[in-house]
Amino acid sequence: MPAFAAPLDRAILAGALCGDGAAQVGAAEGLVRAGGDLPADDLAYAGRLLGALVERRLACLPDGALLLAGQNAPEGQDAVTDARRPAAEARAPVLGLRQRAAVETARGVVALLTEGTPAARAAGLAVLERRITIVPAAVLDRARDAESDAALKGTIASLAEAAALSSPDPVRRRAAIAAVAASPSGAAAARLDALKSDPAYRADPAFRVALDAGLAQVRRAVAIGDGLAIVYNGLSFASILFMAAAGLAIIFGLMGVINLAQGEFIMLGAYTTYGVQEAFRRFVPGLLDLYLVAAVPVAFLAVALVGIGVEALVLRHLYRRPLMSLLATWAVSLFLVNLVRVTVGTQNLQFSMPAYVSGGVPVYADFVMTWNRLFAIGFAVATLFLTLLILRRTPLGLDIRAVTQNRDMAACLGLPTRRIDRLAFGLGSGLAGLAGVALCPIYSVNPGMGSGFIVDSFMVVVLGGVGSLIGTLVAAVAVGGANVLIEPISGAVAAKVIVLVGIILFLQRRPKGLFAVRRRR
Amino acid sequence: MTHLTRRSFVGAAALLAAPALIRPSLAADPVKLGCLFSSSGTMANLEGRLNHVVRMAADEINGRGGVNGRQIEVLTSDPASDWPLYAQVGRQMLQQEKVAALFGCWTSVSRKSVLPVVEQNDGLLFYPLHFEGDENSKNVVYMNSPPASSVLPAVDYLMGPEGVGAKRFFMIGSDYVWPRTINKQLKGYWKSKGIPETAWREEYVPFGFSNFQTLVNQVRSFASQPGGQAIVVLTVVGSSIPDFLREFANQGVTATDVPILGLDMVEADLEGLDTAKLVGHLNCWAYLQAAKGERNKKFLGDWAAYVKAKNVPFSADTVIDPMVSAYDSVHLWALAAAKAGSFAVPEVRQAFANLSFDDPSGYTLTMTGENNYVSRGVFIGSVNEKRGFDVLWQSADAPKPVPFSPYG
Repeated sequence: MPAFAAPLDRAILAGALCGDGAAQVGAAEGLVRAGGDLPADDLAYAGRLLGALVERRLACLPDGALLLAGQNAPEGQDAVTDARRPAAEARAPVLGLRQRAAVETARGVVALLTEGTPAARAAGLAVLERRITIVPAAVLDRARDAESDAALKGTIASLAEAAALSSPDPVRRRAAIAAVAASPSGAAAARLDALKSDPAYRADPAFRVALDAGLAQVRRAVAIGDGLAIVYNGLSFASILFMAAAGLAIIFGLMGVINLAQGEFIMLGAYTTYGVQEAFRRFVPGLLDLYLVAAVPVAFLAVALVGIGVEALVLRHLYRRPLMSLLATWAVSLFLVNLVRVTVGTQNLQFSMPAYVSGGVPVYADFVMTWNRLFAIGFAVATLFLTLLILRRTPLGLDIRAVTQNRDMAACLGLPTRRIDRLAFGLGSGLAGLAGVALCPIYSVNPGMGSGFIVDSFMVVVLGGVGSLIGTLVAAVAVGGANVLIEPISGAVAAKVIVLVGIILFLQRRPKGLFAVRRRR
Repeated sequence: MTHLTRRSFVGAAALLAAPALIRPSLAADPVKLGCLFSSSGTMANLEGRLNHVVRMAADEINGRGGVNGRQIEVLTSDPASDWPLYAQVGRQMLQQEKVAALFGCWTSVSRKSVLPVVEQNDGLLFYPLHFEGDENSKNVVYMNSPPASSVLPAVDYLMGPEGVGAKRFFMIGSDYVWPRTINKQLKGYWKSKGIPETAWREEYVPFGFSNFQTLVNQVRSFASQPGGQAIVVLTVVGSSIPDFLREFANQGVTATDVPILGLDMVEADLEGLDTAKLVGHLNCWAYLQAAKGERNKKFLGDWAAYVKAKNVPFSADTVIDPMVSAYDSVHLWALAAAKAGSFAVPEVRQAFANLSFDDPSGYTLTMTGENNYVSRGVFIGSVNEKRGFDVLWQSADAPKPVPFSPYG
C-alpha cells in the first residue's frame, strides 16, 4: 500500500480512517505493514488519530477530519492543518468488530515502537501477540533493536523467533517451533497442528521430529493448565459456598434455628460495602481503592447488629418452636428484600473495582487466575482461620461450644445461654456480612441476590454435619469441586441435579453428615 | 388457637391480595387500558419501567383529546414476576374492569400463561418484547420482531465480511423456552447454509446461574481450536448477563477475540459493570437509545421530562427497546380504535390492516392485516465505554415479519 510507505501522507490516512469499513481496515493494516519503516513522528501521529477513532473523538467532515477533546465536543483541531474548526455537522464513526481488531493491532504497533515507558510498550506487545500471524517481521526486528529494557527485549526476540514459522529457512523454522512451544496455549497448539499439513512435514524428518516434539510439549502443558483451571474453579466456587454457609453452620448448629434470612444478610453485607464505597468517594476519594478492605469490619459489625436485632425482636420468642422460627426468618428475609428495594431501588449497584479485584493474570498455558476469585479464596481462608480462632481460643468460643454440646448442662453450670445465643447469632450474621463483601467483585449486587445462596448453603451445612465448621469447609470443597468436574461433561443444569442426588444418597448412609458433633440432649 | 386449614389460608390470602392487584386512576367515563408488568420480583427492574411508559403514551393521547371522544385511563397491576399470576390478573382486568386492551408480559413464559385468557375472553394483548416467534394468535399483537427479522440479520452480519466472518458458534442460554427455540432455529439456519454440526456448541445454565468460570474456560478453548472465527450467542437472561460479561472480561477475552451477541442484553444489564473491557460486544433490537433522528430526540426528552414531573423511580436517561415498543403499542391501539370508530376488539382488529406509525426508532411501523405482527427496523448495537450501545448497523427499511421460522 504505497500511501503508507514513508513518509506518511497524513491527509490520506485521515481520509481513510473517515471512510467506510473497508477503507478503515485498509488504513490500519497498511500502518501495521509499514510499521517497520515509518519515522517515529509519523507513527505517533497515526497513534493519536487511531486513539481518537477508538474513543469516538475523531469527527469526520466531508473535507477532512477533526480531533475532538472529548466525545461530542463542539469544535476540534483539524487532523492535518491543526486549525480549530466547528464540529457541529461532523460524524463520529463507530468501529465494527473487524475494524476494531485492525485498529487495535495498528495501535499495538505504534505503542510498541513509540511509547516512552517499558510498561506501555509491553502492553502494545501483548496486543500484537494475540494476532502475531499478521505482524510483519520488520516491526518486531525494529522494536527489538530499539528496545532498552532487557526483559522486554528478550520477550520481543522470542516473539520474533516464533513469528518465523513459515520462514523458508528450515533452521529458523525449527527454532520458531521451539519458540512457539515455549509459550504453550490452545492457540499455539492450533498453530503447530496446522503445520502438519505442510509439505515439509512429510519431506523433512528433522522438521517432523521438531514439530511432533513441540506439539507434544504444548499439548501436555495445555492439559496441565486445564487441570489447574479446574482446581482453581473448584476452589473459588467452594470459597463462595463456604463463605455463605459458615455463618449458617454456627446459627443452625448452636440454636437449631433454620435461618432463611441468611441470604439477605449476605445481601446486606454487600449493600454495606456499597455504603462504605460511597462514603470513601465522598470523603477520601484518594483512598477509594481501599474501600473493600475498610468494608470488612463495617459490614461484619453492621450485619451482626442486624442479626442481634432480629434475634432479640423475633427469634428469642420462638426457640421452642422450630417451624415458627423458620417461618419468621422467611418473613424477615422478605421484609429485608423489600426494604432495600424501596429505599435503594432494584437496579444492580455500581461498584468501582480496584485493580486488585479486576482482570486476571495468565499463569500457565490457558489458565488465567482472575483476581476477584483469588480475593474470594483468600477472604474465605482468612475467615476460616479467624472463626476457628474465635471458637477454639476465646472464652466466647468456649461458651458457644459448651452450649452447642449440651445446652441444659451449660445452663446448670451458670452459663448465660440466652446471651450466648444472641452473640452466636450475631457472629453467624456477621459472617454472612463478610460473605457479602467478598461477593461484591464477583456477582451483581441487587436486592434479590441473597435468594440464590440459601439452598446451596443449607446443602453444604447439612452435608458437612450440623455445627461443625470443618465439616462445612470439607462439604463446600466437595460440592464446589463436584460441580466444576461434572459441568463440562453434562452441563450446568445436570451438574446441579447430580450433586443434589449425590448428597441425598450420602445422607441416607450418614444422616448426620460428614462430621457429626457429638451432643447430649 | 383457631384451626388454620390450607384452604382457608389461601382464601384469606387471596382476599387480602385482591384489592392491591388492580389500582385504577381516576377519570370520568374513560376507556380503560390494562398493564401486566411486574413492579416486584426478579423482573421489576425491567418491567417496572413499562407501566410508566404506557401512562406517558396515554397522557399524550389524552392531551390531544383522547380517542373517539373519550379519555384513556390506564390500570396498572403487579403480577410480582410470578408467571401464573399474569393470567389471573389479566382475567380480572378483562372480565371485571372490561379493559379495551392489555399491554404486558416480558418473558415468553408469562405470555404463554396469559394467551389462553385473552383467547377465551377475546381480548387484545400487546406484547412489547422480541421473542422466539412460532406463535400467531389473533388476540395478541406482536409488537416486536420474531427471530427472522431480528436474530438472523444480526447473525448474518457477524458471519459476513462487514462483521467478523464468524464460522463457529458457542451458544449459551438459560434453560427455558426462549433460548432453546432461538438456538433450535439458529442451528436449522446454519445447517441450511451448509455449516457442519461440529462448528457449534450449545450449553444451558439454570435461571439465576452466576458461576461462569468453567463456561468461559470452555469458550476460550473452543475459540482457540482451528476452523475459523468463533462467536458467542448469549441467550441467558436476568442477572446471569452481567455475571457472564464480568467473568468474560476478567479472563482477558475481548470482543475482538470472541464477540458476544447478547440477544437479551439491554442498557440496564450493563449497570454496575466496567464496560471499558467489554467494548464491541453486540446486541440486536428494533430500537436503540442511540438511534438518530428528531423523533428519538423528542421521545428521550419527553421521557426525561415525564420522569421528572411524575417522580418515576427509574433512570431518566436510560431508554430501552421494550419501553419504546410499549409506547408504540398504545399509539397503534389508539390509531386502530380511531380508524374503527369503536373500542370493540373485533373492529379494532379489523382496523389493523395497513396501519402505520412513525416511532422514535426512525422507522415507520406497519401492519398488514394478514396477521398481528408489526414490521420494525433492525438495529445492531455495540457496547461502548459509557454503559450504552452505539449503533453499528441498521437495516435500510423495516423487513416484513415472518411469524413461523422455516429453520426448525
